[in-house]
Amino acid sequence: MGDIPENSIISLYNVTRSFGDREVLKGISFEVSRGEIFGLLGPSGAGKTTLINILTGQLSCGGNAEIFGTGCGSIGSGLYRRIGAVLDNCGLYERLSCLDNLRLHARIHAVPFSRIEEALQKVGLAESGNKKVKALSKGMKQRLALARAILHEPKLIFMDEPTSGLDPSTALEIHDLMKELQSKGTTIFLTTHNMDEAYRMCDRIALLSEGEIVELGNPAEICRQHCSSSILNIVTTDGEQMEIDNSPAHAEAVAQLMREGRLKAIHSSEPDLGTVFLKLTGKELDK
Amino acid sequence: MKTIIALLIKQCKDSLRNLPSLMILIIYPAVAFVMIMAMKGEEGMDNVFVPMFAAMHCSFAPLVISSNILSEEKEKGTLRSLIMAGVSRVKVLISLSVFVLVSVLLTGSAFLLMKEFTVQTAASFAAAMLTGAAVSTLIGLCIGIYSKNVTAANGLAVPVGLVFALLPMLGQFNEGIAKIAKYTYSGQFREVFEGGEFTLNTTLVPAAYFVALSILLLVLFRRKGME
Ligand SMILES: Nc1ncnc2c1ncn2[C@@H]1O[C@H](COP(=O)(O)OP(=O)(O)OP(=O)(O)O)[C@@H](O)[C@H]1O
Ligand SMILES: [Mg+2]
Repeated sequence: MGDIPENSIISLYNVTRSFGDREVLKGISFEVSRGEIFGLLGPSGAGKTTLINILTGQLSCGGNAEIFGTGCGSIGSGLYRRIGAVLDNCGLYERLSCLDNLRLHARIHAVPFSRIEEALQKVGLAESGNKKVKALSKGMKQRLALARAILHEPKLIFMDEPTSGLDPSTALEIHDLMKELQSKGTTIFLTTHNMDEAYRMCDRIALLSEGEIVELGNPAEICRQHCSSSILNIVTTDGEQMEIDNSPAHAEAVAQLMREGRLKAIHSSEPDLGTVFLKLTGKELDK
Repeated sequence: MKTIIALLIKQCKDSLRNLPSLMILIIYPAVAFVMIMAMKGEEGMDNVFVPMFAAMHCSFAPLVISSNILSEEKEKGTLRSLIMAGVSRVKVLISLSVFVLVSVLLTGSAFLLMKEFTVQTAASFAAAMLTGAAVSTLIGLCIGIYSKNVTAANGLAVPVGLVFALLPMLGQFNEGIAKIAKYTYSGQFREVFEGGEFTLNTTLVPAAYFVALSILLLVLFRRKGME
């Protein structure tokens, strides 16, 4: 596999992409290693889907993009069998039943039909096998697409906003499934603009803003780095609200409030990815 | 090969649930049958209606259905999901063509029951039907590759299909149209459907269409890559 380290499943070096004269990706570089859950986090229009399309060989790009050490422009059928994808447009046959959709892909990948039941079970659609896709809700379609993506046990799975528009409990089921896949050594590359999802699920994340990576690393560490001085939110008995830096310099002010008996509530605001993103780009994440 | 079989099974199941495309497949044989029955009193009506509707069947149906299937695969993103499962675009086109040709031949064989054929003329009939359907399928694939979605594809396929389906018939009533209709592949096959044999013209004209359309398909495929 060339001179790329054995462990690197995805590697991007200075990847660019423009539509017309609009530069959507401006030199993206990072690597994803085996068994990682890697999250690409960014607001709408940041270029997340564009990057997934490049990685799955659906779009050409400048720079160098590779998966399994092969250039993304030349992914052949052999390599496609090692990846699975859940994209925003599910690509399911609407007139066919769930089972028939999965049977098609089972035949293509030459996997036994017994896998179909298993996959449906895993995404909680065991009861709906004979339902036609057009009769399914959005969340069910999304889960069927996920069942299809894991049918042939790929080593790398792409998920474009796998839980957007799903109710919280369905989202949790999908998260559990992702963890289960990871425990079997599957690498997962997902995009999201949900910071909680990114924080809880991902080993590493990249914050993408206007086609550039503004931060990369473990989500908890990123938060710690950027929010070293946490903020105390204080509410006094006469209803006044204040924000005070959690630092020795302000100890006296807080103590004073306590002595006067005016302190009604105090809590530290947890540093989260949304705050980091706001701090780095001046923009809201989930807008 | 297993991929093509998988795609064919999928296509059969899908088309059986797709009422409009089923209608297009059976409408011409059905109308021919009804007309012949309705005019039972008069001699030789089968000799009029069978060639007329056979020419329409083998030009209109494959053209519209193939462009429809291909553009729907593009519009719904199913083509992309196939490609991401490692299926080559060429295999998608092959299985689609096989499906269209077989289903047009099967439904078209109903014509053989409506008029008397010898083994010889029946064979010529089937050969003409197959060749006509092949040329039409090529046109349909070109339209399917060229169009962004189903609406755009139908907007092109229906008028083009009607031209090739109706010109030969209109040529019967009008000298001027007859001169043009001679140069349509469907017009050439009409003579065979009437019980005639393949002649130099009935071979050359469709062959020319076939070659020209294959080249066009290749060019479109290279340029658009089915995106
Ligand atoms: N085929 C295309 N032609 C022209 N512009 C495009 C095309 N695809 C994407 N873009 C533009 O590229 C930018 C990034 O789009 P992209 O779909 O990658 O965003 P995203 O991060 O996935 O957003 P979302 O969270 O809404 O899905 C957008 O401004 C979009 O308008
Ligand atoms: Mg997107």
